[in-house]
Amino acid sequence: DALVSCHRHYKSRPTHGIGRFKYLLPKEAPKRKRDRLQMKEINVGTEYEYGDVNIQMTSYDMCLVEHFAQYVHKLCNRLSIRVNESYAMPTKTNEVLFLEERGSKMQLDAVLTTHQRVVQISGLSSTFAPILLEIIQSNQPEGVHLLVKEHTEADFKSRLKSRPELEELLAQMN
Amino acid sequence: PCRAQPKKKKKVDVKREQAQKDRMKKKIKKLEKAAPEMIPIEDFITPLKYSDSNRVRSLPPLSFEETERRVLLMKKWCLFKQKQDKAEWKAIQTLVEAQQEALKELRLESEELYQAAIRRDEGLFPFERDGPNYTPPLPGYDPPEGKCVDITKVYTQ
Repeated sequence: DALVSCHRHYKSRPTHGIGRFKYLLPKEAPKRKRDRLQMKEINVGTEYEYGDVNIQMTSYDMCLVEHFAQYVHKLCNRLSIRVNESYAMPTKTNEVLFLEERGSKMQLDAVLTTHQRVVQISGLSSTFAPILLEIIQSNQPEGVHLLVKEHTEADFKSRLKSRPELEELLAQMN
Repeated sequence: PCRAQPKKKKKVDVKREQAQKDRMKKKIKKLEKAAPEMIPIEDFITPLKYSDSNRVRSLPPLSFEETERRVLLMKKWCLFKQKQDKAEWKAIQTLVEAQQEALKELRLESEELYQAAIRRDEGLFPFERDGPNYTPPLPGYDPPEGKCVDITKVYTQ
């Protein structure tokens, strides 16, 4: 009984190491520090292709902008366009004050939050780009501002926290 | 005395400056080792007041006719949306096919024009477009004076 129910495969047996599979998988580079930034593709070729393109959607209405971002993502999946990332930019809060008719006091009108979602795609061919833009434009909901531009390092850096101490020290060094 | 003092100043200054520079370099290295963090997005953090269990909505029970009506309406809406989606997909396919055919014909016409057409458009990006509005802007509207203050929380590392 005990011999049959034993799960160990002894080293001398031919079944030794039967369940091993991790050595067959490709080696994963350990993820550390910030993510790999420069993934820019070649922009020149026989069939011209665009590099990383950012589709940025901005609006005051969060649900609408999120649903639109989901729609764009699913559309790119259906059209077999590679989507690198789909992330959200930090929200901006604005306080709208207006001057009262009688009196010089600024009256608080509303507090508005601006939400932005970004869908990053790559491998867009030059013949298909206008078609994609046309589709996105025709399905653009009300109040959602669309901006399509190429991805730059500044775009990536705007998502990171600012480090005033480091900048101060660097300024002092130079 | 005049000769000794400037010499002392030079040595001490140089040493002090070097020591300061080394300290600054060490500090910079230490700060640079820490990876830059992403700004946390306030959208994805639910405020605590919404996770209060006292907030429960009590809806009145619906009649049988009402539920039936709603279900049938949902079915009709689903069908409508499916037709709309299929029509859109078909339109995309026809667009792509028409484009491919046009490019083929162009290639047969002249190779140079075809190559120029295949090229990517530099003026396409950046592309900006405002969404459509529910109502057009009023022609003679005079907005009250005021200002917008940006009160976004600034995160520092």
